[in-house]
Order: sequence, then structure tokens, then C-alpha cells
Amino acid sequence: MSIEVYNLTVRYDNKIALENVNVKVEHPSLVVIMGPNGAGKTTFLKSLLGLIPYEGEIKIFGKDPKKARSLIGYLPQRDSINTNMPLKVKEVVLLPLVSKSFTIKKEHVEKAKKYLEFVGMLDRWNDRFDSLSGGQQQRVLFARALVTEPKVLILDEPFSATDVKTKMELVELLHRLKGEKTIFIVLHDINPLVECTDMVMLIQKTLLSFGTVSEVLTPENLEKLYGTKVPMIRRDNVCYIVGGDRHA
Amino acid sequence: MLDILVIRGIIAVFLISIVSATVGSFSVFRGSTFFVSGIAHGALAGAALGIFLTLALFPIDPLLMAMIFSVFFALAIGYATSRREDVDVAVGVMFAFSMSLAVLFLSMLREYASIAWGLLIGDLLLLSQEDLTILVVSVITIVLIFLIFYRKIMYSIFDPESAEASGLHVMWYDTLMFILIAVGVVALLKCVGAILVYALLIVPAAASRRMFPSVSGTIVGAFVITLISGLGGIYLSYYLAVAPSSLAGLIAAAIYAVSLFRRR
Repeated sequence: MSIEVYNLTVRYDNKIALENVNVKVEHPSLVVIMGPNGAGKTTFLKSLLGLIPYEGEIKIFGKDPKKARSLIGYLPQRDSINTNMPLKVKEVVLLPLVSKSFTIKKEHVEKAKKYLEFVGMLDRWNDRFDSLSGGQQQRVLFARALVTEPKVLILDEPFSATDVKTKMELVELLHRLKGEKTIFIVLHDINPLVECTDMVMLIQKTLLSFGTVSEVLTPENLEKLYGTKVPMIRRDNVCYIVGGDRHA
Repeated sequence: MLDILVIRGIIAVFLISIVSATVGSFSVFRGSTFFVSGIAHGALAGAALGIFLTLALFPIDPLLMAMIFSVFFALAIGYATSRREDVDVAVGVMFAFSMSLAVLFLSMLREYASIAWGLLIGDLLLLSQEDLTILVVSVITIVLIFLIFYRKIMYSIFDPESAEASGLHVMWYDTLMFILIAVGVVALLKCVGAILVYALLIVPAAASRRMFPSVSGTIVGAFVITLISGLGGIYLSYYLAVAPSSLAGLIAAAIYAVSLFRRR
């Protein structure tokens, strides 16, 4: 039961976006992916989802990404959502369940309510999605990623443009899911999740480093990653980056 | 007693309202309203070629040519956007290309150009039984496709990445949406003309989204606004002796203006 990536290379218009990535992640794990802007973090996630052509091999519980889609829940970056469409919260969460069927079944509604309750948004069931704050929208999209009850969660910058309260609520949800699912999460600031992170991937067009938090989060690795010195502090044998992410 | 042409006009307005509620609403949701305008002018070029071919070589229905051109332009725009071209640029290029073709074909028609220019402004009160049949077939096609693919199209528009990640072929539904727009535009061409297609396909849906901000609310609202605009256009044209489609467009625009005052 694992997610395996061998010699993954992705090119956009013949330019290399990601080169020769090899990782093996045991299920369940929480994997944080870090790197500067344009480093290939989202490209890596999209490869796992089978959204883009790639060279190399990806196996998700033994299956190719396109055949493993029922095993994966995805939370995209929020700016990829089209808010021109005035969907209600319930419709957003039901979409993955009902998009392939003609009717909305009772079990679909029950699942949608269960996961909206999990993220603390059930009371907004009938509200319009675009009337919610950014953090509330993120929680609804999180419920949508969970509603198909996937084994693997892929979260692309879930903390971006969220306030501290929302961030801590999402961290709490991730703590509750840890040990149950394999979670790949792109973050600019790992600090809130340091204590529950199993593995860290540092990506800068290729895999610079992969391992546990204490193995990977070293001043040398972070300087190589961001091209500048990154101040860190150590507490209880855990390293924290001072001031969060350093963009190159 | 109502004249048969008026009855056809009223039936056409009812059918146009269905096109507006479905194709129009989803074009607004998708943000492809400029696309509708581009396709309308592509249809005009096709119709002009159809008339030219009929007069010079062999008989062919101008609306059939309009449909072929519209679908071709729709697919070409879809292909360009899939090659990472900005949708506005792709539509703009096709717009220029189709209008160049339209002017070329119209100039070759000379004294018969008025027939093709009729497609530019249309007339709700000059519809033949054949025009109405084409409209009925188009509407049935559009409604059936929407009933079958409604949720898939909705998911593809709302969050294309997640829809693709869930196993939907977003490009297929994008292409389907483009073809539906092309069919809708051609269906409306004879009734309201290439210029005013936008007025009855997009403006009611845009007003409705502001007034009834839910997917089902927008669809029902767009139907009602188009119906009011179209019937109002026919009614007023009776007294003002001007083209009903222009009055329908003005009524739709007035309703949109009112919708701007609604707090969202």
C-alpha cells in the first residue's frame, strides 16, 4: 500500500518543469511539499492526478494515476474555481458524487452533510458558495475533496489567503485525518504542520531532498532550495523556519 | 384573429427563451459571452456563402452552411484555447476572419446581398414554417443534451481541474458547450439576426444571474426575461412599426439595467 514515483519528468513546451523525481510514500502518511514559486510543486501534484502528460512511472496503490482517480480527493488552488457560477454550498460538495449520475440519492446528501459537518460548515448548506469568505470557501472545498471518501488527499496550497483562525482550523482537520489517509500538501509555511508531518519533499525543478522533518529541514537544504539563508530555530528536536517560507 | 406570422413569432419567442435559459445561462456561467458574439458572425459568413453557392452553383440551405461554419469556428476556438491561447484572442481572431469572409461573400452576391443582410438583423415576424421547424429541432437537441450532461457541464465549468481529476473529460464537455452555443446561435439567426443574437442569448441570462443568484434561478429567470423581452418586442412592433427583435433587445437591456441596482 504505497504511492511510488519513478524517474518522473514533466515538460511544458519542451521546457523541463520537473526532472527525475523518485519517491516512495507508505500509506498512510502526511507529506509536505515545499519549494519556491515555479519550482514544480503543483506540476508534481498534477502528475499524481494524471492531469498532465509525464515521462516516468507513477503508481498509486499499484494503479496508474488515471485509473486511481476514485482513490484521490483533490483540493485545487482556490483561484482555479469559477465563481461566475452561482452554486450553493450543498451543490459544490455534491458535485463529485452526482456528476456521473442522473439523480441525487439520499446517500449522496448524507455524505455531503457528514463532511460539511466535519469541516464545520453544515450550517451554510443552503448558502451561496460565492457569498462565503475565502477561508469558509476553502473549508467547503476541503469537504468536497473528502466527500468521495478517498484514500489519498492532494491539497494545493490550502492555507493560501486564509486568516490565522482558518489556518488553525484546517490544521486541526489535517491532524484528525492523519493516520487514516495519505495526504500530499503543498505549503509555503510548514510550521503549523511540523509536528504531524511524516515526510517532507523539497522541490526545485527536481527533488532536492526527501525524508523526515528533521532529516530534510536543515539550513543547508533550505539555502539550496530558496537560494538564500533561511533562519531556523530548534525546539524539542524539531526545526522551525523563522517567518515561514522564503520565496526565491 | 392573430396572423400566422405573429403566431410563428410567438412560438419562436417561446423556443428562443429555452435556448437563452440553457445555452445563454451556461455561457454566462462559463464567461464565454464574447464567444457567442464571435460565433454569430461566423454563422453570418456561412449563411452568406450558402446564398452565394445557391445562386452560383447548387442549391444549399444557408442555415445549414451557417451551422457548419459556426461549429467549425467553435471547434477552432476550442482548439486554440486548448493550445494555451487566450480565449478572448482566439474569439477575436475568428471574429475578424469570419467577418472578412462574410463581407467577401456578401460583395460577391451584389443585388442579392439584401437576403444575407436580413440574417444580420433578422425578423421575428417573417419566419417560415421551415425556419420554425429548424428552431424546434435545435431546441429539442439542446434540451436533450443539457438533460443528459447538465451536471458534468456544470462541474467542468465550476472547477475544471477537479472535474478532470475526478475522471471527467473536461475538454469534451467544453467542446460540447461550444457546439451547443453554435447550434443556439444559428437557431436564433433567422429570428433576431447575427447582431441581436447577443441581446437575447446573453443579456437575459446576465440579468437573471444578478436577480436570481442560483443556477436554477438563473435558468428560470433567463427564460422568463427572454419571454417578456420577445413578446414585448412583438407587441410594441405592432404599434411602432419597427423590427421586433430590436425592441426585444432594448427590453432585455432595460431589464439588465434594472438588475444592476439589485444588491448582490
